[in-house]
Parts: sequence; structure tokens; C-alpha cells
Amino acid sequence: MATSLRELERELTELRAASADPGGPPRMRASVMTHIAWVPEQWVEAATGTLAGLAERHPSRTILLFPRPDDPQDVLEGEVDFRCFVRGGEQREVCSEVISLRLCGRRAAAPASVVTPLLVSDLPVFLRWRGPLPFGASELDQLVEVADRLIVDSREWPDARADLARLAELFDRIAVSDIAWARTQRWRAAVSDLWPDVAEASVLKVAGPFMEALLLQSWLGARLRRDVRLEHQPAGEIELVEVDSRAAHPTRRDAATSSDLLSDQLELFGRERIYEEAVRSFSPQQT
Amino acid sequence: MTETVVAPNPLAEGLRMRRPPEPFALTIFGASGDLTQRKLMPALYSLVFRGLLPDAFAILGVSRMEAADDVFREHMRQAVIDHSRDEFREDVWQQLAERLFFVTADVSAAGSEALAARLDELDETHGTSGNRVYYLAVPPKAFGPIVTALGNARKASGWTRLIVEKPFGTDLATGRQLNELVHRYFEEQEIYRIDHYLGKETVQNMLVLRFANGIFEPIWNRQFIDHVQITVAESLGVEGRGDFYDETGAMRDVVQNHMLQLVALTAMEPPIDFEAEAVRNEKVKVLKAMHTPGPKHVARGQYGTGFIEGAPVPGYREEDGVAPDSETETYVAAKLYVDNWRWADTPFYIRTGKRLPRRETTIAIQFKRAPHPPFEVDDEEGLRPNVLLIHIQPDEGVSLAVGAKVPGQGVSIRTVHMDFLYGGAFRVGLPEAYERLILDCLLGDATLFTRADEVEEQWALVDAMLAPWQRDRPHFPNYAAGTWGPHSADELLRRDGRSWRRH
Repeated sequence: MATSLRELERELTELRAASADPGGPPRMRASVMTHIAWVPEQWVEAATGTLAGLAERHPSRTILLFPRPDDPQDVLEGEVDFRCFVRGGEQREVCSEVISLRLCGRRAAAPASVVTPLLVSDLPVFLRWRGPLPFGASELDQLVEVADRLIVDSREWPDARADLARLAELFDRIAVSDIAWARTQRWRAAVSDLWPDVAEASVLKVAGPFMEALLLQSWLGARLRRDVRLEHQPAGEIELVEVDSRAAHPTRRDAATSSDLLSDQLELFGRERIYEEAVRSFSPQQT
Repeated sequence: MTETVVAPNPLAEGLRMRRPPEPFALTIFGASGDLTQRKLMPALYSLVFRGLLPDAFAILGVSRMEAADDVFREHMRQAVIDHSRDEFREDVWQQLAERLFFVTADVSAAGSEALAARLDELDETHGTSGNRVYYLAVPPKAFGPIVTALGNARKASGWTRLIVEKPFGTDLATGRQLNELVHRYFEEQEIYRIDHYLGKETVQNMLVLRFANGIFEPIWNRQFIDHVQITVAESLGVEGRGDFYDETGAMRDVVQNHMLQLVALTAMEPPIDFEAEAVRNEKVKVLKAMHTPGPKHVARGQYGTGFIEGAPVPGYREEDGVAPDSETETYVAAKLYVDNWRWADTPFYIRTGKRLPRRETTIAIQFKRAPHPPFEVDDEEGLRPNVLLIHIQPDEGVSLAVGAKVPGQGVSIRTVHMDFLYGGAFRVGLPEAYERLILDCLLGDATLFTRADEVEEQWALVDAMLAPWQRDRPHFPNYAAGTWGPHSADELLRRDGRSWRRH
């Protein structure tokens, strides 16, 4: 059903008041950010699953944007949700607001005008873009302007090399986090532990997803200022990394869920210079 | 001879990973004691749970209890199940258990060949590289013999660190003697005197609150602050520690360490950085400048029978291990001054006690009233001075009391609280103080530990407050369990036209 932002804000206020103890004062809102998620149709299921594990960790306002540009009606449809999570039997609560908006018809072309009135003032804005980035598209440009940090998962990109090469265009406009890069973190630490034996590295062998292998290759090459050849074996997650036949041994760690990975990115604020360097140095000719 | 210069590691840059501690062997003296079971082992489990310890480490428990490694592990497993803040996971426990060992010995074995041989063996089997941490979770009388024995048996290879629990002495003279003894064998930077309050997130947050927010520091002084109240209240009694407590009392147990550290953190000047020496230099300046104006400004009390949460509880003198005519104080309140440019004439009121109505540790910064509110006197009835309240436990956070207009006709003013609770803004559970402190020690960071000169300044002040008590016999008990302390504590503030915070 068509709605308006004013209507959604009113519903949120009512939900917040209704969540208070009978006769008690209204709940205080202790937000730390606004989290916008741009979720095209084919990513809805994955995004919803990630969000389910995220809400109780970050007291925030989450704005889920579901673009429906092919819808014949030019309307906004949406719902609001207000949830408080009590943790570990303690007298502490984390409260989150979730605003789900379907941008139908031409409303999908102007997402910034929809989210700007809903941003929590003076707090950082994180933009999670599901799927490939539509470089040059107006929707992306608009949301990049209102957000402080763009979070992508380059593993979701079908054309890894071309998309990585274009990603650098955004670096001077917005800080970028890449969840695929975050997955390489403990492997990078393990390779770092091989220093200085790998100072003259020339071959990197990775068994894992192609995007993570590419990122490790470009990182190692950029850091060492050398050409590093990649030998890649496909696998669902990174299983092996060797530099000139020296195996990297990461610290033990449980498999991180998609919520964990996104959650970690929501705690970063500055630019990731080393990531930017790795992406900038990336060249489609390198193999 | 030419030195080999290793180039900085370019691969380490940008890795947002905390540097892991170097390999180590941690020896806990007093391994069968309450502290080990309730705090140390759960803290070590939590550190393993989060992958914060290196692969190469070993923990060696030492106590007089007759037990084999397996029996000790089973005890510690139960301790972790009972007291850890994290869920119990068998795989995590196994990582800890396979590095956990036990030696039956008393303190005289501290420097013995048998213990040294066991540690050398762990160097071989667990790669602990000769790095030693000794945790003295033992009664104060055992400190001296252990420190001497360990000092005489120091190894040439690897580093050595010594963690010491409070109380560090019983007065200034004994505190100095202990410092001298420890310094005979260990450098000051090898000594980690634990005051677990400093490991609490909220205590550290006070430094962030003060020095990372531009709005507080300009008004954090005598011009804007009327006074400061620090409360460390417990609803528990002596809980089976009657023997120890009857020799110690609230002044030595809480005021000498936790409370004076809280005053120092509240009153200190901004350090030039957050390194150990810079922070401790500023704290010690405050401790040197602190005094109490006289015996009338220190109140003591001892609880009698009363009620806690509706249940009757015995008086202190009826507790196990306590002398029936004990004159040990279970409550202390005092007015302190910090004689410096920032705080001259601004009182710091402190109070601590057992069997008070609830468990609470707070620092309340009470600001001066608005100089001339342009409202009718009746309208201001609900208005109290602004108070910045720092909750240290149990509900960690900060709240600010401000005056606000009650909606409706005319002007009626009420005080409302704006609360920031830690658990409501950050997703991570707060680490236990011992987790933070043990990890800091393993990393060689002494910022949150107490330095020798701090301990001595604290004892000097406590000695000055205790001296008049040697002359005057108290009329104990003088407050009922479940109340906020003796009448003399209320009188202490009433004389200044003030009162303790309402609860």
C-alpha cells in the first residue's frame, strides 16, 4: 500500500512509545549510525538473512531500499519495525529501527530524496550496496553523496576484474569497505608473518574464491612493489595461501557469518588506504 | 661488528589486528584460591575464546592442594562453566586445557629447582621462549618469600613480569618495604600492581569522556563544579572472608586503592598521551595534592543487623571469622581536597561500605547552580543542580541530569535524566576487568596498573586518615544493614550545606 515518509515516522514514534513499560517513560533512542541497504530484487533473501543477525548488535536506524523501477505505479510502499533486544539477562537493551521501503516506478530513480529526510542527524551513514555496482548510474551517485561509507562485497560481482578497476573512481568521494577484502584479513596477517622471507616474492598460490585471490595478489604486489604472479585454484572459501611455496598459517578462527562480516565493516570510519592501494594497482593485464 | 637492519614490514600495515602477546608461561601462585576460580581462569578462557592469546603459551598453577594436572583441569573447567561471561565451548576449553598444568607446592617452592625445571620443560614442549609471568594470587604475608625466591631464581633469557594483587602493604611503611623488596629483584616496568577497577571499561571511558569531548574539559574545574561524590557501595557482607576483612577494614580494602584511583582519574590533568608513564605521572600529581581537612571530615561505621532485599542479615560482629567486639570499620566516608589550581576548595566526597542498600559504584560531578534563573521560585521546585553521573557498575554508562520545562501552561521545571548506557550503544559485551588487565600485562602495557609512587602516596593519605582512629574508640555498630551508612556520614555533608545523592 502506498505510504509517505511522514506516515512511516509517525508509525515509528507510536511503536517506540508502545514498547515502553506500562506507565513508564518512553524509551530513549541511543543510535550510533544510519545504515542504508540498497537491495535489488534478486538480493532480497540474502539481505534479509544478514539483517536478522545484525539488528541486535548495532543500535541504529536501518533503511532498506528495494528498488522496483519496472513497477507501473510511481509510489513508495513500506513498513517500519522497532525492536529491542535484551542481552544476556542484563538490564541492557539495544533498540533498532528498521524502515523497509519499496521504491516503485520512477521513485526508484531518486533514492537520495527518499533517504535524506530519514537520516539520523549528525551520525555516520553506511551504505551497503548489494550486488554489482552500477558505475555511472544516477542512483549510485546520489546515495554515495549522502553516505560516509560504501560497503560492497566484490565476491558478488560477476566481472571481477573490470569492476575492481572502476571501483577506484569512487575512492575520493566515499570511504569504501569490501567484505571480500575483510575475508582475506587473517590470511594477509599470516602472509605478513612470513616477512622478511617473502620480500622478493614472485608467485602467489591461492586456493579459494577468485575475487579473494585477486585481492591478495594485488595487495602483495602493491605492498612489495613487485609483479606477483597468481596461481589460482577455485574453492568456496580460502583454504590455502602460499608465497613462493611458503605456506601462510592463519590464526584459528571460527567461520564468520555474513552478519559478522557486515557488522565489522559498520565499525570502520576512515579510508582503507591499503585496500585502495591494492585496488588502484590492480590491472586487468596482471595474471 | 655490523648490525643487521631488518626493513619495516610493509605487509603489516593496515592490518587491523591487535598485536598478539609474545609466547609466555604464566605461573599462578594461589591456583586453588577463589580469585583464580572466579576471575583468572574465566578471564583466560575468554581471551582464548576471542583468539587473543598466542599459540605458544602455558599456564602453571601452583598451590598446596594435592592434585594432578587432570584434577586441576577438572576444577578449572568447572570454574569456567560457573563464572565465565562467555558460553562454554568444549573446543575452546580444550585449547586452554592442553596448555594448563599444576604443581603441588607451597610458597617456599617459588624459586625451587622443581618449579624451574617444570617451566623449562614447558619452554621445550610449548615454545614459551623463557618468557615468564608470575601472578601472585596469594595472601599478603606470602608476597615477600615468593618475590625473594623468584628474584633469586631469575633466568637470563626471556622477559619476566610480576602481577601483584592488592593489598600492597598495610600502611605507608609496609608499602615502602614491599616496594623496596620487589625493586631489589625486579625493575619497576616489570611489576604490574593490579587494581581491577582500572580494568573496567567505564573507568577507562571516563578518560575518553573527559579528554575526547571538547564540551567537558572547559567546565571540569572549580569554577563550574560545586563538588564531586564518589560512591562504592556493596550490598554484600564479608561473605566468608571475615578473617581477612577484620584485619583490613574498608579504609584499606577499598579507599586506599579503588577510591583514591577514582578520585585521581576524575581530577587528573590531561596526559600528553595514553602511555603508561604519562597517565601515571598525572595521577600521582593528584595523589600528592590530596588531603583531608581533619578528623571531623572522616566518618566510619560498622553495620549491625538489618535487612537486605527483605531478608534479615546478621550484624558484622556476628559474621564468621569476626571478633565479637571488633572495631573494624565496614563503612568510610570522607571529604578530600585536591590542592591545585583546578580544584582548590572543591570538595571530593567519597563513601564506601558493606551491607548498603544496593551494589553501586558511581562518580557524580555536581555542577554549580545557574546563577540567576529568571523563573518564579515555585516553578523551580523540581529543579536540582546539573549532575553528570558516571555509572561504573552495575549499569555502565553516563547520565546527565538537566532541568526541563514540564509541558503545559506556565513554567514548571523538572529534572530529567538523559542516559547513555553502554549496553544500549555498543554491540560488544563489556570485557571483564581481569581479561583486559591480564592481556595488557602480556603485551607489556602498564598503563592500567598502579606504580610504586602511586601506592605510597595512597598509603600516606590513608595513614593520615587512620591516625586519629587509634585514639578514639568507636561506638559500633552504628548503622543498620540495608541503610546508607551512619548518621555521621550525613552530618559530614550537612555541615557544608550539601547532602549525599538521593537514590
